[in-house]
Amino acid sequence: MAKYIVVLLDEGRLKKLEGSGLEKKVEKLFGGALNAFNVELSDEDAQRILDEFATARVDSRGAITDVPVAFNRVVFEEIAKTKSLGSEVMQGVFARLAEIKEMAAKESEYLPPPDIEV
Amino acid sequence: MSIRIERPEPHGGRLIERVVTDSAAGKKLAKSAAAVFDIKPTVDEKGVPVRNVYREIMSVCYGFFSPVEGSMKEAELERVLKERRLLNEWIFPYPILFDVSEEDHKKLGVTSGDRLLLRLKGKPFAILDIEEIYRINPEEVATRTFGTPENNPEVVKEPFDKKHPGWVIYKSMNPVIYAGKYKIINEPKLIPPFDRFWYPPKKCREEFDRRGWRTVINHQTRNVPHVGHEHLMKNAAYTGDSEPCHGILVNAVIGVKRKGDYPDEAIVEGHEAVNLYGYIKPERHLVTILLWDMRYGNPLESLLHGIVRQNMGCTHHMFGRDHAAVGEYYDMYATQILWGKGVPSFGFDKPVNEVPYGLKIRPQNMAEFWYCPKCGEIAYSGNCNHKERQKFSGSFIRGMVSEGVFPPPVIFRPEVYKVAVKWWKVYGYPFVTPKYLMEREKELEVDLPDMDV
Repeated sequence: MAKYIVVLLDEGRLKKLEGSGLEKKVEKLFGGALNAFNVELSDEDAQRILDEFATARVDSRGAITDVPVAFNRVVFEEIAKTKSLGSEVMQGVFARLAEIKEMAAKESEYLPPPDIEV
Repeated sequence: MSIRIERPEPHGGRLIERVVTDSAAGKKLAKSAAAVFDIKPTVDEKGVPVRNVYREIMSVCYGFFSPVEGSMKEAELERVLKERRLLNEWIFPYPILFDVSEEDHKKLGVTSGDRLLLRLKGKPFAILDIEEIYRINPEEVATRTFGTPENNPEVVKEPFDKKHPGWVIYKSMNPVIYAGKYKIINEPKLIPPFDRFWYPPKKCREEFDRRGWRTVINHQTRNVPHVGHEHLMKNAAYTGDSEPCHGILVNAVIGVKRKGDYPDEAIVEGHEAVNLYGYIKPERHLVTILLWDMRYGNPLESLLHGIVRQNMGCTHHMFGRDHAAVGEYYDMYATQILWGKGVPSFGFDKPVNEVPYGLKIRPQNMAEFWYCPKCGEIAYSGNCNHKERQKFSGSFIRGMVSEGVFPPPVIFRPEVYKVAVKWWKVYGYPFVTPKYLMEREKELEVDLPDMDV
């Protein structure tokens, strides 16, 4: 099964991609309720993610999930920087692993809750 | 031929009830103990709690695990590991053990025939009448409990290791086992929010009577429910006999869970929100709990679930793919194989409700639900033949939650999502963390009345 990462796109992220040519690669999910990129991974890249992050796992769709929020954020930043969904995205992400792990360590005990009425 | 389905009798023929409700009688039993032991959590190599035996004592004494009455003897442990049967022949999937360290064993100085008083949160809780003392190799028990690809090729795909939380539970146990029957002598009070979901089997069966439910399908959960779960519940409940099941019982497993699962409080209140906000009528939907540190044993866990829910009075049990699973240790449909044709290497050459001393509850094996853009609705995999499928992946949804994206209502009902955020605000994190586990370990799910012994 091919493995991939789903990168969710909210309005702010979509704005950063304007003019990149990536807009046409946006996947509409759940009847258009969600926008996302599916970033395909080589077997080596997928295995490396699983090895680097203890919580990471492959779900029933073949998507790698349960990675730190910082990882997802950096994946998006690399997409925006390279204006690509190709292998250079993961090259950029792996080059920033130390930074991701440092941020992930801080988020392993605290994540700010959304500011909504409950 | 009648097609009417009646409530099954408890597994083993009768409900086990080993709770002394009279405090004077409880005190008398406590005073007769030869030694006192303060229950400690089982911890992993990093010192993080992975299990507390008190949950097993509760589940045994209130009858959830009927006909099990206590910690297993060595011969019974061996039989469970080999054939998944108790010494009295009734099928049962897991070792249930009371373990102590060599150091504690030396300090206690007890022998078989002694009565041990077990304290919880510093107060008398239960007694264990020791019938046998023996030793285990915890790692060997862990591996034999879950199986291996060589010995159980029908369902086990990968060797179990320290990434599997259930294997870690058994691996982390102490080597000295006290076997014997438990009895709760000082009845604990469940604390909020768990108290309103506490329906031990006897009370649960009475509640079914009160509601006029003859046919009831159970939904096993360790999740805050997304819309895929809701559709599983609604659709699986169309089974029954001449009419759909009268009731849907949600039985949430409460105890230590893997990092990344939701906090227990969010799980129970999230399911409650499904009926409070009208997605399933409260008259047809009851949320309850089981105290158990999940072993994530897919087919074996499903067997335990079948036993517990039959004891609670359910006629049916829904099982999806990857039931109570983590990782890819088991075949995705291992549970459905167990209930559909049996797993001979686990001792079942036929489905577990067709073997002698097996279960009476009926499995409702379900495949998948996904969102189909072509159908424009949530579709069942057995119906929808379109290519584009947007699956409800719990972990995908967890990722969305972590990133602070408000999920669309087609994924998460807003009221259910708000429950998850409510408990996120309490614990500073939307999911289980080691810190959460340590905080919860201090509080547990119960308080105990004072008992001067």
